[in-house]
Amino acid sequence: MLGRFRLEEPEKLAEASELLGRYGESAKIYAGGTELLLAMKEGLVRYERLINVKKLGLNQIGSENGALKIGALCTHRELENSPLLQQRLPAFANLEHHVANVRVRQAGTLGGNLCFAEPHADPGTLLIALEAKMIAARGESTRAISAEAFFVDAFETSLAADELLTEIHVPAPDSERKCAYLKFGYLERPSVGVGIALSLRDGGVSDVRIAVGCAGPAPRRVPEAEALLSGKSKDEATRNLGQAGAIAGRASEAISDLHGAQDYKEHIVGVLLKRAFQSAVS
Amino acid sequence: MQFQKEVEIRAPREKVWKFIWDVDRFIACVPGCKEAKTLEEGKRYSAIMTEKVGPFKVEFPTTIEVLERDELTHIKAQAAGADNKIGSRMKIDLDVNLRAENDNTILGFVAGVDILGKLAALGHGIIKRKADQVLDEFARSVKQKLEGDA
Repeated sequence: MLGRFRLEEPEKLAEASELLGRYGESAKIYAGGTELLLAMKEGLVRYERLINVKKLGLNQIGSENGALKIGALCTHRELENSPLLQQRLPAFANLEHHVANVRVRQAGTLGGNLCFAEPHADPGTLLIALEAKMIAARGESTRAISAEAFFVDAFETSLAADELLTEIHVPAPDSERKCAYLKFGYLERPSVGVGIALSLRDGGVSDVRIAVGCAGPAPRRVPEAEALLSGKSKDEATRNLGQAGAIAGRASEAISDLHGAQDYKEHIVGVLLKRAFQSAVS
Repeated sequence: MQFQKEVEIRAPREKVWKFIWDVDRFIACVPGCKEAKTLEEGKRYSAIMTEKVGPFKVEFPTTIEVLERDELTHIKAQAAGADNKIGSRMKIDLDVNLRAENDNTILGFVAGVDILGKLAALGHGIIKRKADQVLDEFARSVKQKLEGDA
């Protein structure tokens, strides 16, 4: 049962940030509530105050100076159905289309998903591969955090206690930039997710970014695996995929749990990396 | 969940043994452990174990019972506690072994940790990883304290 709490409804960002600063750990941001309310109903977390940020209007999807700007309060449903995302970043729209189930997608927000940092979440992994920046606001000031620096550990981000995630900026890919996200799982949440972004020019592969998620405590970028594919011809990169997959598997810090044993997850990372690469370059 | 750790400490075995029974100093090495009390010298102790994974916090008022004690070599203990707020229980079976090697001591411990109740919703893997981190930090802290004294 949900315990008693006080609902704060700020209408300005600075006000929400001030409330967070004032009440510290006894308050929590409430967006879609798809993770938070479940944890509260289970009695796993207790907060005296929930700060409802849904009136802050952070649910725009736009494009500016070559970057896509996604409001943190966009629901997964809004993102999967966004014509702009479908056109400019179809891999991300497709990822959003496969987040959880339609009830979760209808209420759950991208920002909530990222800030809760549940280890088996999809979006963070692809956002790392896409070099996304998380825009965090405190009062009137903002700062940009790279997606790879945003995820610290399971359920932990680098947001300060009084900071709010307001926007996610994703560099919009040009015609040579390709990306893909693949996941695999047999339970409600995925066991493994792999994201890749690369540039394909004259049969050569460059600027490869690889991220793995779901297998371990938090999504991670794998520069060692990227180096095996970057600056290579498509054929040479394809030959290196086995080695890159093994490195990415180890880098995933896979944990043995109900979603699969550590070595199984590491193996799946390799399989998904091969397929994601093929999908991106085809 | 089974954990096995071994740490080499640059200190004689007598000193390590004495340190283990100095409850206040020893407990200070256990991350998240507070309010340690001796209920019965050498036999029963109590403490509050706290831990945090992201927004999830647990607080287990814990009783530690020493089941076996072989001077300078071995301690067998059991710790059990419950967090009634989140409806979870914890039980730890602990075997501590001391072995002299040259002038140093090898401190080894085998811990069987059981977490029951709602906390398990976090997932076995996350809890195991956290417990592993706690034990590593504990081993590091014991080594640091004892070698720092030298």
